[in-house]
Amino acid sequence: MTAIEPSAGPASSSQLARERAVGVVQSFGAPIVLAIVVIVAAFSFPTFFTVTNLTNILLQSSFLLIVAIGMTFVIVTGGIDLSVGSVFALGGVLAAYASQWGWVAALVVPLVVGAVIGVIQGALVAWGGMAPFIVTLAGLLAVRGIVLAITNGGSTTPLITDPVLKGIGQGGFASIEWPVVIGLVLLVVGIVLLTRSRTGQGVIAVGGSENASTLMGLPVARVKLSVYVLSGLTASLAGALNAAYTSSGVPVVGVGLELSAISAVVIGGTLLTGGKGSLVGTLAGVLLLGVIQNVINQVGSLTSSVQSIVSGGFLAVVVIIQTVLSRQQRL
Amino acid sequence: MALQRTSRGLVAAVSLAAAVGLILTGCTNTGTGSNTSSGSSEQKVKSSDGPTCDISTYGGEKIDLKDAVVGFSQSEKEDNPFRIAETQSIKDEAAKIGVKKLITTNAQSTLSKQISDIQDMISQGANVLIVAPLNSDGLEPALSAAREKNIPVITVDRKLNAEACKDYVSFLGSDFVEQGKRAADQLIKGTGGKGKVAILLGASGNGVTTDRTKGFVDEIKAEAPGIEIVAQQTGDFARDKGQSVTEQLLQSNPEITAIYAENDEMGLGAQAAIIAAGKTPGTDIQLYSIDGTKNAVSQIVAGQYNGVVESNPRFGPLAFKTLKSFLAGDAVGQDIIIEDGEYDADNASSKVDGAY
Repeated sequence: MTAIEPSAGPASSSQLARERAVGVVQSFGAPIVLAIVVIVAAFSFPTFFTVTNLTNILLQSSFLLIVAIGMTFVIVTGGIDLSVGSVFALGGVLAAYASQWGWVAALVVPLVVGAVIGVIQGALVAWGGMAPFIVTLAGLLAVRGIVLAITNGGSTTPLITDPVLKGIGQGGFASIEWPVVIGLVLLVVGIVLLTRSRTGQGVIAVGGSENASTLMGLPVARVKLSVYVLSGLTASLAGALNAAYTSSGVPVVGVGLELSAISAVVIGGTLLTGGKGSLVGTLAGVLLLGVIQNVINQVGSLTSSVQSIVSGGFLAVVVIIQTVLSRQQRL
Repeated sequence: MALQRTSRGLVAAVSLAAAVGLILTGCTNTGTGSNTSSGSSEQKVKSSDGPTCDISTYGGEKIDLKDAVVGFSQSEKEDNPFRIAETQSIKDEAAKIGVKKLITTNAQSTLSKQISDIQDMISQGANVLIVAPLNSDGLEPALSAAREKNIPVITVDRKLNAEACKDYVSFLGSDFVEQGKRAADQLIKGTGGKGKVAILLGASGNGVTTDRTKGFVDEIKAEAPGIEIVAQQTGDFARDKGQSVTEQLLQSNPEITAIYAENDEMGLGAQAAIIAAGKTPGTDIQLYSIDGTKNAVSQIVAGQYNGVVESNPRFGPLAFKTLKSFLAGDAVGQDIIIEDGEYDADNASSKVDGAY
């Protein structure tokens, strides 16, 4: 709501400055919480702040990060994409299957299919005027069905033997693995796209107020279509990279991934109502989820039920701290 | 404006709480995955013929378990008897031996989490790993991380599509095909080789489902031409799903005389559906399943259930015994198949206390 005020009419410069300050805290609330958690963990567990452990967390988070980048764009338009977990699984299975024709095919095939799924969902949302929640829920179910259908009910797992593709998933640049590099590059591209380009302004404007955007002559439908295509692309790419990483297209991966991605985006300060979002925040949200998981493993003696309670409670605390932080700045 | 901002913050917080809630509940039913074991307490080895593995072939250093950090990676939530008993057995045995430290993790049915769990334990200095794999494929990054540091990995209850003594040391577990076959034998005996049978399948894409189906169907085909399998539907190893699927099956196929459920939970769900349909489980419609949980076995005692083939989850003693010999330099079997018991009307009341 605050985001569209400037476009709705001339605003005073002090108001603009305050808007900006609020925006900064909203994007930096999650990084601040992340920093606190990392510092506390570093002092509590001797094996936490080690190079191996930190690079592990980065690598483990990189696949979710790629999915969450696309999800951020969708949520900024006020939409949601529940199909990413299934698209992730399909991307992995297709990549593994297509790897018999070489590593290029293994990356191109999932991306094309992911884009097509995005076009279908985006068109239904943009021109069909249907609720994103329902459209992408249908996508979640249907795409998971496709994954099971092409893998013999989930009993066949295509394996990856192509050395280049395995290298992309498992190799790296210095001690940073390729999936991490790819995730960070996409993050930078996404930040430029969202904050420095006309397209990004369109995305934010549509999420702020669809009516105002239409009145201003923005191509609302095209913007909506494009974010679902982007999300289809990032989810299938993450799935393909994950397949390269695990050397196999396991059909049962990605269940519940959409919820992790949505949580990461929201923890990062992007509003579920749309119109405001931060990819730096999304990165922090993704890393927070990774660090929480890692800390639970550092404790190393919790049962699965206690683990669920701890991670749920942890997330709740994070959101409360963040809400308090951004509210104080606003006053 | 201030009010609006507050409410927006609230909306965000509530939405997130809802999302977290969904994450938590989303996983609860996936747990019943699987395995079998005998109702008697300790596992016995049925066979460990075939190739062996020793530490000089695999690599690594000999170490006393008392000085070792042991990592255990559980695949599914401990929300079903099998997983509860399995984790507990590992913890109990680790305490009994007095290992330096036991780290336990739970992948909560997420493959990527199992990979990171294992990597986390390695970076915490685990010297040996016991892994209950969620999936036969896809753990390669975790295995190669262990391989790099020559950390011995013992897998329990589900076999990996990988090379023993190279990617991991040994596999300990049941023969799932054999379990399906034994359930078929029980059913053939109980029904006199006649009737119409429905199968409640486990989760799709799960090797345990495939094996227990194959063992059962092949045995029926070979031994009992008078038995017709009229329906096969998945109940996802979950009690509620087993119940609702059975309700539908009984309506569409009222002539069903026996049900084979690929785990006890689904079998107990089927039992509830049979009662709801106004029939008597155990007599009107016979019930057979695999696992050997106390709940199912006590239903045999009550005469409301016909047979249970066991799948013993108590891997602790055998896993640590195998590790101990391996770390001492002895050769251990690459495939250690455990012996599973079975329960029927004749032995259930005397053996029910040993069920898990």
